[in-house]
Amino acid sequence: MAPQYDVIVVGGGHNGLVTAAYLARAGKRVLVLERRPLVGGAAVTEEIFPGFKFSMFSYVVSLLRPEIIRDLDLPAHGLHILPLESTVTPMLNGDYLAAWPDHDETRRELYRHSPHDADAYDAYGRVMHHMAHAVRPILSMVPPDPTSLSPRDLLGLLRLGRHFRNIGPENFHSLYKLMTMSSADLLDEWFETDVLKATKAASGIIGTFLGPRSPGTAYVLLHHYMGELDGVFRAWGFAKGGTGSISEAIAGAARRFGAEIRTDATVIRVLIKGGRAEGVALESGEEIRARAVVSGLDPRQTFLKLVDRTELPPDLVDAIRQFTFRGSSGKVNLALDGLPSFTCLPGNGPHLRGAISISPSLEWVERAYDDAKYGRFSRRPYMDIVIPSMIDSGMAPPGKHVMSIFVQYAPYWLDGGWNDAQREAFGDAVIDTVSQFAPNLKSLILHRQVLTPADIERITGLSEGNIFAGELGLHQLFFLRPAPSWARYRTPIRRYYQCGAGTHPGGGIMGASGRLAAIEMLKDGL
Amino acid sequence: MSHDALVIGAGVNGLVAAHCLVRGGRRVLVLERAAEADRSGDVGWIPPAVVRDLGLRRHGLKVSRPDPWIVAAIPGARPLDLYADIERSAESIRRLSPADGARWPDFCARVHRLARVFERLYAAPPPDADARGLRDLLGLAALGLRVRMRGREAVIDLLRTPPMSIGQVLDEWFETPALKGVLAATGVAHLCLGPRSGGTAFAFVHQHVGSPAGVFRPPVSNVGAVLAGLPGVEIRRNAEVVAITVRDGRAAGVVLAGGEEIAAPLVVSGADPRRTLLGMVDAAWLDPEFLRAVRHVKCRGVVARVTLDADREPGFEAVALAPSVDYVERAYDDAKYGRVSAQPGIEARRENGRIVADVQYAPYALAEGVWDAARRRALGELVARTLAEHVPGLGLLPVREVLAPPDLEARYGVTEGQLHHGEMTLDQILFMRPVAGWSRYRTPIAGLYLCGAGTHPGGGILGGPGRNATRVILKEMRT
Repeated sequence: MAPQYDVIVVGGGHNGLVTAAYLARAGKRVLVLERRPLVGGAAVTEEIFPGFKFSMFSYVVSLLRPEIIRDLDLPAHGLHILPLESTVTPMLNGDYLAAWPDHDETRRELYRHSPHDADAYDAYGRVMHHMAHAVRPILSMVPPDPTSLSPRDLLGLLRLGRHFRNIGPENFHSLYKLMTMSSADLLDEWFETDVLKATKAASGIIGTFLGPRSPGTAYVLLHHYMGELDGVFRAWGFAKGGTGSISEAIAGAARRFGAEIRTDATVIRVLIKGGRAEGVALESGEEIRARAVVSGLDPRQTFLKLVDRTELPPDLVDAIRQFTFRGSSGKVNLALDGLPSFTCLPGNGPHLRGAISISPSLEWVERAYDDAKYGRFSRRPYMDIVIPSMIDSGMAPPGKHVMSIFVQYAPYWLDGGWNDAQREAFGDAVIDTVSQFAPNLKSLILHRQVLTPADIERITGLSEGNIFAGELGLHQLFFLRPAPSWARYRTPIRRYYQCGAGTHPGGGIMGASGRLAAIEMLKDGL
Repeated sequence: MSHDALVIGAGVNGLVAAHCLVRGGRRVLVLERAAEADRSGDVGWIPPAVVRDLGLRRHGLKVSRPDPWIVAAIPGARPLDLYADIERSAESIRRLSPADGARWPDFCARVHRLARVFERLYAAPPPDADARGLRDLLGLAALGLRVRMRGREAVIDLLRTPPMSIGQVLDEWFETPALKGVLAATGVAHLCLGPRSGGTAFAFVHQHVGSPAGVFRPPVSNVGAVLAGLPGVEIRRNAEVVAITVRDGRAAGVVLAGGEEIAAPLVVSGADPRRTLLGMVDAAWLDPEFLRAVRHVKCRGVVARVTLDADREPGFEAVALAPSVDYVERAYDDAKYGRVSAQPGIEARRENGRIVADVQYAPYALAEGVWDAARRRALGELVARTLAEHVPGLGLLPVREVLAPPDLEARYGVTEGQLHHGEMTLDQILFMRPVAGWSRYRTPIAGLYLCGAGTHPGGGILGGPGRNATRVILKEMRT
């Protein structure tokens, strides 16, 4: 029987959709199979409570590759990014620290805390800007295999070496520091204001199981400067209609190019014959044939669940077993009867249109991590709060609001395991901590949804609830993501590929993994 | 008599540099602030090239490697003995976990192979990341190829392991808390980091460089004493350098604490980078960016040294108290917030009828209070008590001396009492040591060089920095 499709994409997360769209654009017959009733994976908008829409998991966007927006003409499919311009950090003494969209205003605000830091801020921004420039080409590079002696890989390594040489010694040294230092140490070199360092450092720990004092956290600071660089939109933004509308736009583009998307279709196995993928089996018992299969799921599922491990070399199985996930974050979504009033900036104001960071001191964030290290959720967590309904009125009924609270740390491996009681206790800790800064919050809550890493895993399928489909640590980045020699989107099984965030560069709503996978598949002459 | 070169500090690296310079035909004077030579043993590996070049063996060098190299105390249980013989260690480990015992030989081989790569890198001035010279690039390519020749796995280990935490690495291999604890302690030695902090896997490998496979503690030797007795170099004690004189951007000599000036066209400092460049050189000669980088060299002292009197044989050569990774991590938690660990990790060894215990963590800068007599006494008692509790048959020993980091700073002249002259973290090694762009022993002041542990290959590699530095100095003086 001739295969009905050229390619089956397992999982309709945003990377899977990007792969599907690029392949369809190249004229391939593509089928996307998504387990849930809606596409998007962790980038979905759901009306959890009637009238209230939530970006259930991922809630901000900054890194979506501009070439993808362009190639797939996403604005024509409904992508509309609204700026999320300010960050306000309430402090324990009732004061606050703010970064406003207007640079001069931010400078004045910083000056109020420390004239030294106000000056250092610009210099720091310049260095980070240079770093982002240096790293950007790597995001769209297919990693060479450092263990291979083939001319192609040696050439790739040489090219990489030349890239680092060309950025100049100073930039190279700064970049090296960024890759190896802790965010706290790096920021200590620049700033003296604790709350400023805490707020910046907090963005370095997102999705990791490390504290701000642990080396390896400085690199993520760069992400903040990456989106800004592309000039398509500001550093951080919301998608109008919630994060799900990004997925919908990509799905729309894919369909437009002729891809077929089926939801409520759970793939349980990739069909392999003679070391070659030839289709998938669904939970329903249905089997669908295709000339190639690409998995958008995380590495653990791609290699250890969808295929029989006897099909794989033992060292790859070992490497995937060692690939760490360690989900460390949770999410609390609230439907509110009105606006929260923060003690440091009472009432409504521009600060409610941006992010509110609960990171009053470095010690606060570090102590939040201490809890997680020993298997507890943070009693006083670091939180990143946004109120999407302030920017996009369609997210909640008139006069009402939705609040999204990203919470760290909530370890997947909780002592005693996650259950309903633990989930509620975690939710209470979150609400109690936010209420410390916005006392009226409790009286406004109409509904609350608490998502632990166990919930994130159950709903999205992401192993251990890791939001990046695998930790973004140096030991599993670039040519090590997800495993050495298999970072080029291929697998040891012919015609079986990987395109999820567990491959380079991974993480965030970037789509780069999906795009690079599609390009590599096309190179193989599908 | 005039000298061609002045060396600041009669530490191991200073003396190695001095003797290498003498072999290069220079007349050298070493200036040492201490009145008497320190008699305590030197902990660390001495690269064979240093031993060979200076004929140290002939002059009485004794390197001791206790066997078992560590007795790991386990609260309420028989201690775990680890030996130089891998099979024998595996046997002791098997008693606690057959699976771990079975993995031990593989683990030792893998770490050893990785350490060999660093050993090679340590034998020469650091490869410079901004190297433009063909020779540097070829050298790096040759090293890469050499690693590759040892197999695919060797390349992967080299790329993957160093940035990891030692806790994570050990979790991949073993299940026995006591075994993981005693190895984790190696990974954090002299670092203000815990075993769950990134990059401690590198520190673990660094500590292993030069040791035989299966031994994860550096040796102790009399190298300092042997070097001090070696003829050819004049050492002036009680001579504390307080300033390095600079004329027209060139080093011209030094000023001693008493005001005496000694002139020489070459000054080589074995003192740590912060002490040398921030303490001895007039800041007017240095670029603000460079000064900023030097100020940010991390040397957060976290080790206190406690000496106990032992009236009889203690029954061990080296004992460690670090019963689990979490134990060490919790000890670090205290230090993170500026407190002395309530339950510190302890490494004790026998020396001249005494027991010398390195206690971690005891932060240099305390969040509350200062290192006063009461605090020192409390720490000494804590160590004596803890050892008595966990080391069978030892009993409560009297405390002879407690050196907190500020005391180590005062005694040895090392900033913040950090005995490695700067923490051995990934951001402070190779071409980043002591600061980016200045890893080749020279400084912005012509004729002023660094040769101490604050330079590549860093702390614990005795004489490595001193020898590498003189290679650069002699070469530059020829041209």
